[in-house]
Amino acid sequence: MKNKLRELRAAKEWSQSDLADKLEVSRQTINAIETEKYDPSLPLAFKAARLFKLKIEDIFEAE
Amino acid sequence: MLYSERMTKEKLNIPGEIFMGNQEYSWRMDWQVNGWLFVATLISCFFDIIFHHAVWQWPVGARVGIQLAEFAAIALWARGLARWIRGMDEMHRRITLSAVLFAVSATFFFLLLWHRLDAAGLWDVLFGHPRNGGSWDIVTVGHGFLLLTLFYFAACSVLNRRYK
Repeated sequence: MKNKLRELRAAKEWSQSDLADKLEVSRQTINAIETEKYDPSLPLAFKAARLFKLKIEDIFEAE
Repeated sequence: MLYSERMTKEKLNIPGEIFMGNQEYSWRMDWQVNGWLFVATLISCFFDIIFHHAVWQWPVGARVGIQLAEFAAIALWARGLARWIRGMDEMHRRITLSAVLFAVSATFFFLLLWHRLDAAGLWDVLFGHPRNGGSWDIVTVGHGFLLLTLFYFAACSVLNRRYK
């Protein structure tokens, strides 16, 4: 699954650790999502969408 | 809710915490998670190997008590392991659960295969007859722990690489 998490995070000037703290996951999980090696669960995707004030489909896109 | 309120305020657990040699290794966490397994292994080693013949002179109640103490320690270890896994985030929980499932299945398969090959007499042919009328069968908690650890770390290494 493709995602724009890295771009959105960079726009806010947050580090991976900052985003991990806000989403209550580990930094490794953020890195795995950004490098598209791990697809987040639906609750985590909703949490990310709420954090960036976007819709899920604006962040995540099925390949 | 992804996590309870209580858990979000605590540090998230990660698999590397119990990987000796890993930069995230924590002796305290390793002891918290695996302490009871160490106790079960000690009980198993003492009564299955070191005092094996002496134990058979004891009353049946004492022997049953030893076996139950061993399994009580294993049950407490399983509870500690479950708590540790519950304190992880979703990706690490997936990695750890997959590794635990693989380790348990592989250990069960290995012990079953070893037992069946022992029953067929293969180990006697390859290694000779054990002394004192023993057998090559390995069903002690110590052996199980070693195999579980080996398979768990092998699976964890593969799965961690997949998500890095």
